[in-house]
Amino acid sequence: MDSSTDDTDADEETRAREVEVPLHLYKVVTVFSTMFAVAFVVGGFIVLDTATQRARLDFGEMNLPLAILGVAMIAAGALVYAFATRFRAEGMGKPKDGSDEPSNNG
Amino acid sequence: MSLERKDEYDHGEWMREKNLTPVETTFLTVLIWMDKRFRIVDYLEILETLYYRVNMQMPKSHTEQYNLDNKFWYWYPLYALGSFSTIAYVVAALSGALLGFYYAPATTGDPTTAYNQLAFIMTELNFGFMLRSIHRWSAQVMVAAVFLHMLRVYFTGAYKEPRELNWIIGIILISLTMVFGYTGYLLPWDQLAFWAGQIGVEMSLSIPLAGEWVAQLLFGGFSLGQATLQRMYIIHVFLLPFVVTTLIAVHIGIVWIQGIAEPH
Repeated sequence: MDSSTDDTDADEETRAREVEVPLHLYKVVTVFSTMFAVAFVVGGFIVLDTATQRARLDFGEMNLPLAILGVAMIAAGALVYAFATRFRAEGMGKPKDGSDEPSNNG
Repeated sequence: MSLERKDEYDHGEWMREKNLTPVETTFLTVLIWMDKRFRIVDYLEILETLYYRVNMQMPKSHTEQYNLDNKFWYWYPLYALGSFSTIAYVVAALSGALLGFYYAPATTGDPTTAYNQLAFIMTELNFGFMLRSIHRWSAQVMVAAVFLHMLRVYFTGAYKEPRELNWIIGIILISLTMVFGYTGYLLPWDQLAFWAGQIGVEMSLSIPLAGEWVAQLLFGGFSLGQATLQRMYIIHVFLLPFVVTTLIAVHIGIVWIQGIAEPH
């Protein structure tokens, strides 16, 4: 697959969606989404630990709904973080995607 | 009503002119709602301003030199890992200093004095369980944060010229962090600690030529005993704190002088 030569129409589908927002909003997105993501992931592990009593219970004894909730919370945290990465401040872009800087080692 | 043009805080206006999906609109609305009530970003911006006020960098970074306003990389979450490691180190140092009042590195008795003191801290001492947990968790967090910090530095190319020296110091620091972890791991002197120590002795002995000398120096002999625990204790609470604190100070000082590296 050689997409480095024509990157005008081909990568419109492959490239991840980017939304440009004002700088202040970018800070809001970064700070709050990171906080939510951390809270969800850490909380998810705590819930999962509670459900399995720190993985010491047998498979049949564990609290299945609570365990699923824990895993779901970890996934939700990851999702929030991943979703937040589509927002970018003005003038900010991934250098490797810039058309003026080819990624051929220089 | 101001005559100045509408600034970027007028969220409703520009959000309408963007082509946002419903999920994105909801996501942004929720975060803006949070931001209006919990002004965390404002406080972080004050810190950012303070950083520039006290900052006397020698070679200014490209964006600072040409006064470009896109200094957004200071807001990348992964750029907080160095501070995070430092905070974990300070917490571990404070809790460790308090633990030092109750721990004794002695292998006498059965179970040993060291282990008895550990049991005392965990079961009888007021707030002892909490104190040791804080120490252990901050140690784990520090190892993880230091490792992730190194990944961040590597993948953003922050180790490149003129920051090679700080990268080397960082490698020394991550190694010493692991020595910190290992020596602390042996201090409980339970089965886990003892056999981890045995592995350490055998790893030292496997070094060509210098192996026996290293085992003598670090573990006080070829089999584990009082000398081993004593050495682990002194390395953990005396030798490493001085060396690592000094190196961290130099490490952060160089970052202060050179400025934070921009992603390449």
